[in-house]
Amino acid sequence: MKPRIEILDKLRPHVFKTLSTHYKSLDNCKYADLRLGISEFKSASSENGQSKDVTDDYDASFGVRVIAGEMSSWGFYGQSLGRNDLKIKKITSLIITGINIAYERAIANAKKKREFKKKADSLTAVRLAKIKVCQDTVPADFEIDPRKVSLQKVLKTSMNVSRQMKELDSSVLYTATGIRTGITRELFCSSEGANIDQALPLTQGVVYVAAQKGESSPEVCYDYIGDLRGWEIIEGKNCYNLSFLDFALERTKDTIELSGAEFLKTSKGEVVVVTDPHFNTLLVHEIVGHPTESDRILKMETAYAGRSWLYKSRDENQLGNRIASPLVNAFSDPTVMGYGYYKYDAEGTPASRINVIKDGILKTFLNGRENAAILGHEPNGSMRATTSAMAPIVRMTNTAFGPGKKNPKSIIKEVKDGYYIVSHRIPSISESRENFRISAKKVYKIENGKLVKLYRGGGIMANSKEFLMSIDAVGNDFKMFPIPNCGKGQPMQIMRVGNGGPTLRGKARLAGC
Amino acid sequence: MIKTEDLRTAVTDALKYIKKHKDVIDAEVFASWNDLITIRLNYTSDIPCNGVHEPKSIQSYGLGILATVKRGNRIEVGFGSVTNDLTKEGVLDALTKAKRNRVYDPDFKTLPDQIDKPAFKNYHDKSVMKIRSEETVDLGWKALDGALKALNDRGHRKSIIVGGDVTILRERMAIKTTKGIDDFDETTTLTANITVMIENKNVKGTGWSMGTHLATFKPEAAGREAAESAMRTIGGRKIKSGKHNVIFGNQPLTDIASNVLIPSLNLASVNASNTPFLGMLGQEIASRNLYIYDDGSIKGETGSKKITCEGVPTGRTDLIKNGTLVGFLANNYFARKFKNNLYHQIPRNGFRYSTNGRDYKNKAGISPTNVIIGGNKETTRDSLLKQVNNGIYIGRIWYTYAINGLAMGDFTSTIIADSFLIKGGKISSPLKPNTIRINTNIKHILNNIIGITKKKRSTLVWGSGEVVIAPEIAISNVQLDNIAGFLG
Repeated sequence: MKPRIEILDKLRPHVFKTLSTHYKSLDNCKYADLRLGISEFKSASSENGQSKDVTDDYDASFGVRVIAGEMSSWGFYGQSLGRNDLKIKKITSLIITGINIAYERAIANAKKKREFKKKADSLTAVRLAKIKVCQDTVPADFEIDPRKVSLQKVLKTSMNVSRQMKELDSSVLYTATGIRTGITRELFCSSEGANIDQALPLTQGVVYVAAQKGESSPEVCYDYIGDLRGWEIIEGKNCYNLSFLDFALERTKDTIELSGAEFLKTSKGEVVVVTDPHFNTLLVHEIVGHPTESDRILKMETAYAGRSWLYKSRDENQLGNRIASPLVNAFSDPTVMGYGYYKYDAEGTPASRINVIKDGILKTFLNGRENAAILGHEPNGSMRATTSAMAPIVRMTNTAFGPGKKNPKSIIKEVKDGYYIVSHRIPSISESRENFRISAKKVYKIENGKLVKLYRGGGIMANSKEFLMSIDAVGNDFKMFPIPNCGKGQPMQIMRVGNGGPTLRGKARLAGC
Repeated sequence: MIKTEDLRTAVTDALKYIKKHKDVIDAEVFASWNDLITIRLNYTSDIPCNGVHEPKSIQSYGLGILATVKRGNRIEVGFGSVTNDLTKEGVLDALTKAKRNRVYDPDFKTLPDQIDKPAFKNYHDKSVMKIRSEETVDLGWKALDGALKALNDRGHRKSIIVGGDVTILRERMAIKTTKGIDDFDETTTLTANITVMIENKNVKGTGWSMGTHLATFKPEAAGREAAESAMRTIGGRKIKSGKHNVIFGNQPLTDIASNVLIPSLNLASVNASNTPFLGMLGQEIASRNLYIYDDGSIKGETGSKKITCEGVPTGRTDLIKNGTLVGFLANNYFARKFKNNLYHQIPRNGFRYSTNGRDYKNKAGISPTNVIIGGNKETTRDSLLKQVNNGIYIGRIWYTYAINGLAMGDFTSTIIADSFLIKGGKISSPLKPNTIRINTNIKHILNNIIGITKKKRSTLVWGSGEVVIAPEIAISNVQLDNIAGFLG
């Protein structure tokens, strides 16, 4: 019998008590928190209509953060949990061991930090900004319970979709689909008294299609639907308002059409580009979402994902400055539906909407409690981890360009000579996100307000600030899309985030093959 | 900590138990214990910081069963796993899941056969298996100390960033199958990847140290190397957009290999029609000077393992030989599916890697081990510089992606550190970081090789599991485009 998420009803008081009492027994332990999560899920994958894999299982893990020592320092411990570990006696013993290991690391680290302080005076004790300490229970919200959908149904849906994609045209070389549906429930307890129980469902469908015409390179498409909801996502209640089958067939038709299209050539200079909401999903992710994460602001990601073009130092940064045209707004909001939805972040901070760019002016950064304390900002609840066994890091949530007032059709119609950039594909960003090249699935030539020709293998490149400043039209067609695979941290954590925006018009260089 | 003996006993007992189930035709039992310790560095001279930010670890152990089951006239295959449980009840649970999760997959032929003998015995470091918390934390501070000492010696105390990590991976596994495979493996891997910036000079440098044994692991040297590299590039200049002859150093070649080239030389990519080399096996795809192979049996390399996660001894898989495409990385599943396209290579790349090592929760996918890139006619760095004469030496790139999908082969990346102008066959002034984007295609790289150095270095890039034993390689006419600098 596999463990159910309901097991946390029984464990919750014991987990809270164990953390609260054991923390007090440790010398010089300033803070401790614990996340214990369990997810139940079903998944299936298929290729060309053939079944490949099904799973009906659970995952459980916990992670402990401790701040201890005279010169307060962090220590962390995480581990996976099995069925037998989810019994009161066993989990109590594992949590105590986990706290002890994290504490030992924090003490060793604090000792070294104090020794080093003599030659490195910026070393400082860890300080967390104050938050409202919450006790709450947040149940999962769905129309069709993922746990009540049979494994056979998940598999049959996956097989049927990949079969119909493959049968659409002889140019289709290969199709694959994957579906995952389930619920994750996580407890958060802290030595400050937080006691939060939050459950989130997740349903996602992934399609992959490769098509080839003649001797040309195969055209490949990878895309997904998904949200923090139940099986209704697969049946059509998603951001595309399409069933998984219709979504997959639409992507396949696009791929077939593109496989016969001409390759886009790189332009010598800037051209007028109209970018659609799906393309702007990745654009806002890369040039607004990541550079406003406060760990990048504080240079903590320099060795990995880079710094931020928005912040050089306390004295030289873009806070309060114009970084975009007055038409541009951007926000990060975990309280609205999307892949970045939650009520509390991984530090127990209540979620809230953050206006990142207001009328083209940079307003603030996404943060956690430690970074907020360093920057002197209010904590805004943007810490997450991929699993409970991993240390939380700053993450964008549902981060998007805000809507404008213009009809997207008229945004295109006003263009005499330009390009319409449709649906994002792959990004490449410079070290501080000050420059980007992002490929699109489709690029159309616009002549006298009309789409006259389709190209493949294209996208745009520009300096981030120059592009944002060039925006002269913002559509009223706002949409939020799921991004399931944002990689960050060491060890790498793959996180789901929501991104989106309306149609935008600006200037960039075309990047072709 | 779970001992290897415990894992061996578990897989033996499990297989005995599974054999009693008449409907099971074949089974593979894999058990593992993994511990990934990460000591992350964050030192900023002008912003309050922790130095060593967070010593942390993720630990897991368990057992997975892949079983083929007879259902009427056809064979179905299923996989199930259990966490933190090596008991008979755990085995029953995993087997029940494997049966519940079974599917009919016509591409699944059979489990791997016993092939040859592994090259290794007892090659891991017992002292790493026993390492204490305090010692692991100390390794992180040593890396920081190495960087700060080098910077302070040259008077750099402000506008400093030191980041990166020291990572220790401890893995134990055992496997037993109805096809006669019965083996185990223990590995210890240590890596230090350090980045240093002097921000007001707009320079960044990198240094790294990798090994399998604590005694030879030098995180302080990685810190020092990163600092020295940053200081060497002070006073960087911009260059004009256009086509340039370039030398890719160890790190950029590894970045291109790990993100574009090696994924294209993988049978899973062939299966998905997602490689620029589709249908090109046996054809010349690169300069005749170039060879590339994967070899998980090189002593002392951090990508080495005794056996794969399918129980096959690791060894050499040739990918490109004299410029000709001769093979693809494979696991058992894809090797059997594509056996007519493979020149009958042994599948030596079936691994179950996840974030923290060889994961009992996964079926075996395809992962590289140590990828060796070299030339039939190799040369020295000085000679390579002379051959290029005027061009760019690129020492570190970032965010390398196959921008239009792997199948097209186009890729882009930005030059972020450790780079110089080459003038008259010699390293000249430094290149200003973050001012150049590379826009090219992997086929262009492979077919425009000017030369390859004999000296190679084991290199690992962020987010990749494999080690690339990389030379420096000169390429003609690479498109480089100017971009804005930091806060530009």
